[in-house]
Order: sequence, then C-alpha cells, then structure tokens
Amino acid sequence: MANSHGQTSTPSAVVSASDVRKVYTQGSNPGRIARALGRSPPPTISAVDTVSLAVSQEEIVGLAGPSGSGKSTLLHILAGLEHPTEGTVTFQGTELAALSRRGRTRHRLEHIGIVFQHFHLLNSLSARANVALPLVELGVGKRQRRQRATDLLERVGLGDRITHRPGELSGGERQRVAIARALVTDPALVVADEPTGELDTDTGRTILQEFQRVAENRAVVLASHDRETLDICDRLLRLRDGSIADRTSRGEITG
Amino acid sequence: MRLRRLLARWVGLIAVGTRQTASRATATAKQRVWFSVLGVAVVIALLITVTGLGIGLATGATVADDDLDYWIVPETESPDSPLVATDDPQFGSVHETNTQIRQKEGVEGSTPVLSQVHQIEANGTTEFVLINGVINSPELDRVSGLDTDLLASNDPYYTADDWTGELVLSQSAAETLSVSAGDSVTVAGNSSFTVTAIDDHSRASGGVPSALLQLSEFQAVTGAGADDQADQFVVRADSPGVDEELAEIYPQSSVNTRGEMMASDTEDSELSLSLALTAFVVSLSIGTLFVVTTSGLKIVTDRQQLTVLSAMGVSVRSQLQLVGTQTLVMTAIGGVIGSIGGLLGIRAVNAVAVRTLTAEPIAVSHPLFVGYGVGVALLMGLLSLPILLAVARRVSGGVPQ
Repeated sequence: MANSHGQTSTPSAVVSASDVRKVYTQGSNPGRIARALGRSPPPTISAVDTVSLAVSQEEIVGLAGPSGSGKSTLLHILAGLEHPTEGTVTFQGTELAALSRRGRTRHRLEHIGIVFQHFHLLNSLSARANVALPLVELGVGKRQRRQRATDLLERVGLGDRITHRPGELSGGERQRVAIARALVTDPALVVADEPTGELDTDTGRTILQEFQRVAENRAVVLASHDRETLDICDRLLRLRDGSIADRTSRGEITG
Repeated sequence: MRLRRLLARWVGLIAVGTRQTASRATATAKQRVWFSVLGVAVVIALLITVTGLGIGLATGATVADDDLDYWIVPETESPDSPLVATDDPQFGSVHETNTQIRQKEGVEGSTPVLSQVHQIEANGTTEFVLINGVINSPELDRVSGLDTDLLASNDPYYTADDWTGELVLSQSAAETLSVSAGDSVTVAGNSSFTVTAIDDHSRASGGVPSALLQLSEFQAVTGAGADDQADQFVVRADSPGVDEELAEIYPQSSVNTRGEMMASDTEDSELSLSLALTAFVVSLSIGTLFVVTTSGLKIVTDRQQLTVLSAMGVSVRSQLQLVGTQTLVMTAIGGVIGSIGGLLGIRAVNAVAVRTLTAEPIAVSHPLFVGYGVGVALLMGLLSLPILLAVARRVSGGVPQ
C-alpha cells in the first residue's frame, strides 16, 4: 500500500503515518454575529505538513530539525497524544482516529512508552513507584508490580536507587527512571522527545546506549537536534517548516 | 480474572494516592499539605468544642450530680423532675428498706435521699439551700454533687441516738453564707448544725447552693421522721439487671437508670441540641468550602501531573480516583488532628470556666468525639469531591510541556 510520498505501510510496520497534517488555530473561530460584523477567521499555523513515514520493529527513527520544525508535534501524533488535522495514523493495523478518547488513552497505556525531555516523574513517589504506576492502571498485582519495576530499574543501573524520590536523583538517573517507566508495560513503540536535552555528555551517552538496548525488540522514534543522539538512529528524517526536507539512512548518517 | 484486575487497580490507586499525600506532607510539599490539613483541623476542633459544650449544657444537671447507677422514685403524674419535685408522694420506713436494698446481690451501696429547700442562717446571712438528708456508706460517692464520705457513716442518730449535728456545704453555699468549717449555722430557723466540711470539689449543677445532712437529723428538723420518710433512693450497683429487683421494693415506684436520666435531660434540652446542630452545619459548610478551595487550587497548580498521567495512559477515571483518595486522606488527617484539638479545647474551656464563671466543668468530652470529628471531616471531603473531580476532569489531558 503506497501513499503519495512513496512510503509503504507494510504489515510489519509498528506505526505508520500517511499524509499527516497538523494545523493549530490561534484563537477561536468567530461566531455568526462576529462573522456578520466582518471579523475574519483567526490565523493558523501548520505544524506538520503532509508527512508520511512508517517505523518497523527493531528500528530507531530519528526526527531532526530546528526548533519549531514540527518534530515534537509529529512525535505526539505518532504516540496518539494529538489528533492529526488530516491524514491517518495506523498502529499495528488499527487506525487511531477510529478510537475514542478513552480508547486512545488505553492504547497509549498498552502499546506506547513515552520518554519526555523534562522526565515528568511524580516527585512524591519513589523511583520504583513511578515506574510501577502504569502497571497499577493495568490492574497488575502489587507483588508483580514491584518485581517488574525493580527488575527494570536494575536493568538501567538504578538497583540501589529504587526507594529514592526524583528530587534525590541526578538528571541522568531521573531520565533512566523515565525510560524504565516507558518500558514497564513492554510497549511496541517507544517515543522520546529530546531524551538527552538536559543531560551532560557522559550521561547522555549512557542514556543512548539504553535506547539502543530498548530497540532490540521494539520500534523507537527519537526527536532531537543533538548530533550524537541522532547517530544511533537507523533512519533520520529532517523536518523543516513541518515537512520532511531530507531522509537519511544509517550508512549515510554515520558516513 | 477481570474482577481481580479491577480490584488490584482500585487498591493500587488508593495506595498510590495515600503514599503521595504522605510523601507530600512529610517531604515534597509540606507547607501546602499542612495548610490544608490544619484548615480542616481548626474547623473540626471548633465543632468538637462547641458540641462538647452543647452536650455539657444538655446533660449537666445529671452528669454533675452523682456517680450513682439507679434512682428509685415514687410514680407521679407531676411534670417536674423527681430530683427536684418536693410535693410528690414520699417513701416510708426508708431506713429499714435501705438495709434491705443493701443486702441485694449486685448492690454496692445505697441511700434514701430526703431533698428539701430550706433557709440556712449564718453570721447574719440567710440563704435558701437545697438540703439532702442521706445515709453515708463507704460505697457511696456523691449525692447531688457533694461527697457523702464527709458525713459519719450509717446515720448515728438513727442507729445509736447519737446526734452529730454535721452539715456539709457546697463551695457556692459556703461562699454565699461566708462560713468555713467549724462554724455554726441554723437550719430552717430553729436547729443548730456545725459545718464539718466544705466540699471544694462539689459538682452541684449550675453552682446551686446545696448541703448534706444525716438523714434522720434532717427528718427531725423537717418533721419527716414520724414515718421515716424520704423522696427517693439512689443505688450504686455493679451488675446490670438490678433494676428489676429494685422495682419490687415499693409497688408504686419506678426505677430509672443513669442512661434514662441522661437521655431524658438531653431530650429536654432543645437549645443544646440546636447549638450542636448549628455547629455541625456551619463547620460542614465552612470546612467543605475550605477543602474545595485549597484542593481545587492544588489540582490547578498540579495540572501538569494529571497531563502526564493522561499521556502515560492513566484513564481520567483513575486520575479522579487518585484526586479523591488524596482529598479524603487529607481531610481524615485533619479530622484526627482536629478532634484531638477539640478535646484539648474542651479541657481549656472547662479550665477557664471553672476559674472564672462556674464551680464545675461546663463542657463534656468523650473518646467518641474523635470518631465524630473524623466522620464530619470525611463528609467534608465527600461533599467536596464532585467539584474537585469536575476541576480535575477539566484540566486533565493534553500534552505535557
């Protein structure tokens, strides 16, 4: 199934976007009276403009581009956090637009792991409780939750920090907790927005190694403008003004 | 299986909400949480204090009176309380009957009581005093708020024709008459008695001037000795069910338990009930508005957290459950602290009252008040929930910044 940009939504694709557009309106549309009085519609901004891509399992796709190019918006659309104004997003054969609000929330819980630039951990909970939180929503028993969260924290090298609250952890440690939280439901797709944006170089490298491990049996999409981060990607899409300006494969990235 | 997952989710969310509140209260948002908790606590403390005052006023006459368990009173159509009505039928041969009562199983002590209001004159001052004639025994404690142990035991004038001339005065009576222990007073215009003791700890209700005399000596003064009369019996017992045996002693008498006397007094006190009810309604309203305001502001301030939960896939319903749990935990903590504060408030009110206004405590405290306070605090939380959940639903969702 080919689209207008020649991207193929193959059955093996974990997530695919087809001719996706996202337009934001600045302000509200005028009512009937306001229109009659000559008030013009509010200006719009096109954050993502007719973008298509497909991400397969065990693939890391990077989204690059300057600030305001639409990286984060495209990431949010792929994660089901935002609705595209036009186009479709399909996740393992299911069109996200067909899901209700509750359905999309459930979809994110079961299939998507999100790593935010600012970590967004709950400060009042320990590292382990933060990681285990999605499992609470899934109705997993306490013992299993604790075990799974502990295993993941040990895997990211935080076995001795499980009872620490985020305020007691360094930036790198918090990001690793966020990664563990994103992985705890064993999602098919992990999206990360500027995952090393707030970290020093050494810590950033450790985090990137973690992402490479994460991608062993799932799809990963990273949005970043950090060269070192983008170096770990199998494919790189450069966005400019909401459109894909350039596509680069792994050989071309490292070359 | 589905039920088990549902249960695990419910329990898990409650645990997370509780842990979050505890953590905020002790580490991450101490000031904000304690401000909310203390707001609830102050309201509950005031509620408990006013309720204690209301109940104290309602039951004061009985609570302050005696530590006795049963009252045997003649059956009467009079609307007056048997404790103060003086024109009602009286019991006869009360000394003999009292001996029979004391021999009954389960009875620790008893006395007939002859109650009349008479003038007592001392140092040129005359005052009407409620005088009770009693037979002291070691098992008795207080009658009409006065310690019976301050009289010689077993009514010596009746048993050995030995006139003691003893008279015990309440603090308020002694102050009014300006007498102290050892002074002579004249009772009912013609009989001289000696003040053997002034009961500093008298708990006579409302500071009414009162006095205790040996029963037979008081009968001699009032002319009730001919038929050995008294108005009622008070009985201390250590086992329930004694009332049935007591009821058989005089055919036309009724036996009241302490609970019946207190209930009767409470029912009669509409003012006190209104006071307690008003305190309840005002506290509930103010407390609920306070919880809505503080918790609502907290939700708006922490909306990023709800957005993150939503992005992670936590449903709106679960987010609302977290908000609800946190609100109820916060109000429950406020309820416990407030209830304890209220009990301390009652102590303070009583201390001030005894020092400045009355001779005895005016407010009542009871451990059940803690349960009452926590219950009202939780009710505040429950009443706040619809608004808080609406606020939470409104700010939830979107993309974390």
